[in-house]
Order: sequence, then C-alpha cells, then structure tokens
Amino acid sequence: MRRRSLLQISATTAVALALVGGTAAWIRPGLEGGALSSLGRKVFRSVATAVLQKTLPAQDGAREIALEGLLSRIDALVGALPQHAQSELSQLLSVLGNPAGRLGLTGLGTDWADASPDEVQVALQRMRVSGLTVRQQAYAALHDITAGAYFSAPSSWSMLGYPGPLII
Amino acid sequence: MSQLKDPVREGIQRGWKVMGGPFAAVPENITCDVAIIGSGAGAGITAELLTKAGLQVVIIEEGPLKSSSDFNQKESEAYPQLYQESAARKTEDKAINILQGRCVGGSTTVNWTSSFRTPESTLAFWQDRFDLKTYTVDALSPYFEQAERRLNIGPWLTPPNENNDLLRRGAAKLGIPAQAIARNVKGCWNLGSCGMGCPTNAKQSMLVTTLPAALDKGAQLLTQTRAEQFELRNGRVTALFCRSLGVKSADAQHLNGSNAIKIVAKHYVLAGGAINSPAVLLRSGAPDPHGRLGKRTFLHPVVMSSAVFEQKVEAWSGAPQTIYTDHFLETQAIDGPIGYKLEAPPLHPLIFASTVPGMGQSQYDLLKAFPHSHTLLALMRDGFHEGASGGQVKLRGDNSPVLDYALTDFIMDGGRRALLSMMEIQFAAGALQVLPLHEMAKPYTAWSQARDAVNALPMKPFLTKVVSAHVMGGCGLAGSESLGVTRPDGVHWQLENLSIHDGSLFPTSIGANPQLSVYGAVNRLAQGLAKKLSGQAVVLA
Repeated sequence: MRRRSLLQISATTAVALALVGGTAAWIRPGLEGGALSSLGRKVFRSVATAVLQKTLPAQDGAREIALEGLLSRIDALVGALPQHAQSELSQLLSVLGNPAGRLGLTGLGTDWADASPDEVQVALQRMRVSGLTVRQQAYAALHDITAGAYFSAPSSWSMLGYPGPLII
Repeated sequence: MSQLKDPVREGIQRGWKVMGGPFAAVPENITCDVAIIGSGAGAGITAELLTKAGLQVVIIEEGPLKSSSDFNQKESEAYPQLYQESAARKTEDKAINILQGRCVGGSTTVNWTSSFRTPESTLAFWQDRFDLKTYTVDALSPYFEQAERRLNIGPWLTPPNENNDLLRRGAAKLGIPAQAIARNVKGCWNLGSCGMGCPTNAKQSMLVTTLPAALDKGAQLLTQTRAEQFELRNGRVTALFCRSLGVKSADAQHLNGSNAIKIVAKHYVLAGGAINSPAVLLRSGAPDPHGRLGKRTFLHPVVMSSAVFEQKVEAWSGAPQTIYTDHFLETQAIDGPIGYKLEAPPLHPLIFASTVPGMGQSQYDLLKAFPHSHTLLALMRDGFHEGASGGQVKLRGDNSPVLDYALTDFIMDGGRRALLSMMEIQFAAGALQVLPLHEMAKPYTAWSQARDAVNALPMKPFLTKVVSAHVMGGCGLAGSESLGVTRPDGVHWQLENLSIHDGSLFPTSIGANPQLSVYGAVNRLAQGLAKKLSGQAVVLA
C-alpha cells in the first residue's frame, strides 16, 4: 500500500485536474518563491483555525495577529525545506485549493475561506483515519506544519507553561 | 547568544582552514591525501587519526559550521540549520519522520549523548550471518575504550530528571531492570537542550573534539559543500566532484549554481551518514555486483507513549535520556519477534506540539498539560529477521536521496507490544492518563482500559506515529563479497581506494543508540587506514 503513495499524490492531482477540466495552465501553485502563495495562505489559515481552534486567542483582533504570525512562520519553515519537499507541498496545496481537489481529498464541500472551523475539523478528521494513504499524508502534513510552526514562536510558549531557553 | 568561550570561533581566529558558506570560497581544484565526505561521528574520528599520522586531509560537509555561540536552545533556529531537511526528513511514503544531523559535527552535534557499546548479541549475529569474524567484543574492546577516553564517555552521576526517573520508578514497580545511560559530556550543565546544539560545549561531539584536533593539524574543512559524485576508473576513485551550496539560510538547502569543485585524493572516505553515503555511490554509478548498495537500511523505528502526571515533569529540563531498559530486547531471541529498547526523550515546544495528536479541544488539553507530560519511546531492533529487513536508499529525479522503508506487520506487531509495555510502566509510575501516539487512541486513565484499547487498535503506518533518529546500513560490512558492500577493513569491496566510515557500515541495526558503535568501529578502521597510507601507527587516546 505504501509504495503506491507517491503515485497516488500524482494520481489525485490528475483526477482533480480532470474533474475541473483543467490543463497545466489552470494549476495555481501552493507555494511561490519558497513561501505560501495566496492560495496556500487561504488553505493554511482555514486549517489553522480548525486545528488550533481552542488554542488561538478567542478575540478577533488577537486571533488575527496570531494567525498572521503563524502564516509568516509557515513561510519561514517552508523556505528552509529542500526543493523536493517544497514541490510536494506546493502540489498538495494546489490540489487542496482547487474546489474539485478539495472535495476529492478532504470531502469539504465549502470553500476554505467560508468553511467553519467545525466543518474543517470534520474534514480533517476524515482524512486522519482514512484508509487512503494520500489523505493520511495530507492530514499529517497540514497538522504537523500548523502545530509545529505555531509553537515555534516564544509568544506561544506561555500557554504551554514553557519558560523558554536559559540565558547563558 | 552564549557568553561562554567558543572553541570553534577561537580556532577560526587561530587560522583554521575553513572554506565554503560564509567563509572563503572553495577553490575549483583541490588535491590532498585523503578526502573525507561528512563531518559526523565516523568522519571526525577518521580526520583526527589521519591528521595525527601526518596526512593531508580535506573534510567536506554539506551543512553549515555552527558552534556554541550560535546554539541558543531555540528549535525554530536549530532544526533548519542543523538537521537534514529541517528535521522533517521523511521516508518515501512519509510514514516515518527521521531526525538526522546536517551540520559540522553531523548528528553528534545534535544528539542526546546516549552512549552504548555495540551489544554482544548484535556482534554475534554479524559474525554468524555476515562472516565478520573480527567483529568480536574482545577485538573491539580496546577501540571502544579509546573512544570513551577521548570523548569523556562515562556514567552520568547527576540524578536523572523527573522525565527519566519516571521510567526508573515505573520499571522498578514492575520488577523490570532499568539502568543509567553513559554520556559523552564534560562539565554538563544539565540543561536538556542537547538536540539544539550544546551551548556550553559540554557535549563531547565531533564539533569540539576530533574536528578541532584535525583542524589544528592543518586539515581543511569545506562547509556548505555537497559531495555529488565520484569519478571512477578501473576499480578506483579518481576524483570527487562537489558543489557549493547557497550562503543564506533561506537557500542553504539548494545548490546556487556554482561551478563544480574537483577534489583529487589518494584515498577517499565516505562518512556522510546512512542515507547520504549510499546516495553518493548511487549517483556515481558505483559497482554493485551483488545488489547490496543502499539496501538493508535500518531505522530503529520508534513508537511513543505520552503520559500526564499530577506533579510537574518539565521534560525539557535536565539531561535527556539518562535511564533505559533493555528488558524487552533481552527477554526474547534476537531473531525472534522484534525487541525494543525503552528510553525517555526530552520534550520541547515545537516537536511536542507537532507530535500531540488531534485538533481542537482534545489537542488543547494535551498541550496545556505540557509541564506535566512525560513520554517514553521504544526503539525497535530491525534487521535481525526477514520481517524487518530494512529499507532501500533511492535517488529522486533531482538526484537527492530518499529512503523507501516498509513498516511491515512484523514491525508493527512489535509496535503494539512496545506501546503496551510503555503504558504499563507509565501507569506503574503513577500516570493520571496515558496516550499511546496513535491517531485512533484516546487518553486512558487505567491500565486495563489502555491495554484493551491498544490490543484493539489497527497497528498501521500513519495511524501509528513512527519516528527515527538512527539511520544505519546501506553500505553493509561483510566478510565475503556477495554479502555486503564493504570489506571488514572498511574498504569498498570493488573500489580499492575508497573506505566507508559511518553508520552505513552496519549490517543490521545496533539495538542501541549508535553513536559509540560508530566511534568504536571506525576508530579501528581509521587506525588501519592511517597505517596503510602513512606507515605510522596512531591511536585515538
């Protein structure tokens, strides 16, 4: 099952493109210049509000600042990835950002920007325990990048009760 | 930034020959006696011994030169700077995340200092199955002793932190023997940030021991320089082609289009670690008449169980991994159902948060319990049974390496037993709740509940969180040509002036954290090589 997985990503991309009747020209990349594209930002913003639903600040203003900070940390994280990993992530976000791809891979019928955190959580949970490797791979990438990047910043550490590095 | 003395920056001031990255540009042609690819455990030991023998050595490292002044205990800086693929290197299907160093000093710069000699049972298996008659406890013992002296490896006398003491107490309650782990430290501050580079230079990694010794004796260090491929002719390496990588951190992973660097040496030592070393040979089209190259690559696949205690654990604080138990390795035959070693890893925010499963409220509750969280890990001993015959290093279209590793039912059966063992120990130590790291598990509050639940879980890749910090094999040692890539003296079976001196030598996994196994084995190989090339006998310590 595992050996097929990479092929499956490509196959999913192909299926998604076939569904929208697209050609290569229709593909919007998930990353541009080693950082999230506007499409990539839209996907990760929605995923983050779902994954970190109870962790993000409750007030709109503070949550917005936290989300912006998170997206810039994801940019930094992505920029440090090797080219092959950037390409795969870009491809994944490209599929997720396409309505047919999103529906096929996540089952989410609503656009990322309009979906509620609860709806996105339901979709992510389906991917998490899916029997399809490609859905599990996508879930793991979205979950781990979101949570890891959020807690890479000192501003997030008080919630964890982590005092931070010692001055030496 | 650390205010302590930085022996690496002092060495650069003294005139060490360091090039590449932010240092002087690497010339397009270099000649030397020995070119060493990599700067980790095997490369460091080799570099010290060969320079001691008066040989002209060039060390080629694709990662950057960072040292104690740079090590600020921040994961967000350490992972992209010091680890392969930003600490997110994965197996081909992405079911296993691999932590592997990529900096001067290699994984020794970022490891957790756990030091074990190669277990006798592992060596016996190599003698028996791989015709390695000289790999005995007695024959290797003097080489381990020297490495231990050189790197200050010894008992850690400070009491274990709570994270480790929970393993000791829980195991004791169940009558399971647990012991202290020897560490390669000198004047350790007990900070717990080993994985982000030691800010006090207490860890006796290659960065502060063998590499400075080699550089003081005139070795050249090429940083941020990737070894691409050998030129081969008539059973010999005739040149090594390298390329400079970008200087800025943002493009440090990428080639910047620089010209090729050609290094011509009398002898070449490949020590880039057990994914990159086979990859250099694959890119070079090295002879592989028996189809062994890159095969039998092992990971010690790791499963984990996380627990919450009433008291604070603060698993980020204090020396990591100071207690272990081999009970579950020793209670069954080495070639029977897969055995596992238990240890208690340190926890820091980024790695903890990306490992905490799930979303929303359940994730938040686990995150909030961080100061009270304790995790055990089980290293599974792969390579001793046909159900765990390892993975295969391959090349992607861009020639970068990737490891294809199958988590077989045989391995995942071990994963289930390991989760059960760890949970039982955690409950015995007084855990309020235990969560095996599996996407379908929940926090359990009683051992019987946890046991029944884990017995019913589908132990499948992806559902089960599996990681690795130990990559071994792929250029396996063997006493006869058909069984491996490398001869017992470390020389490639088909290329007479190429030695392999790193964890890729091991014909199975070690069954213990492998750094001291690399030091000991390579110490012997490098002493032999020094003698052969220079006529001089040298010792490490």
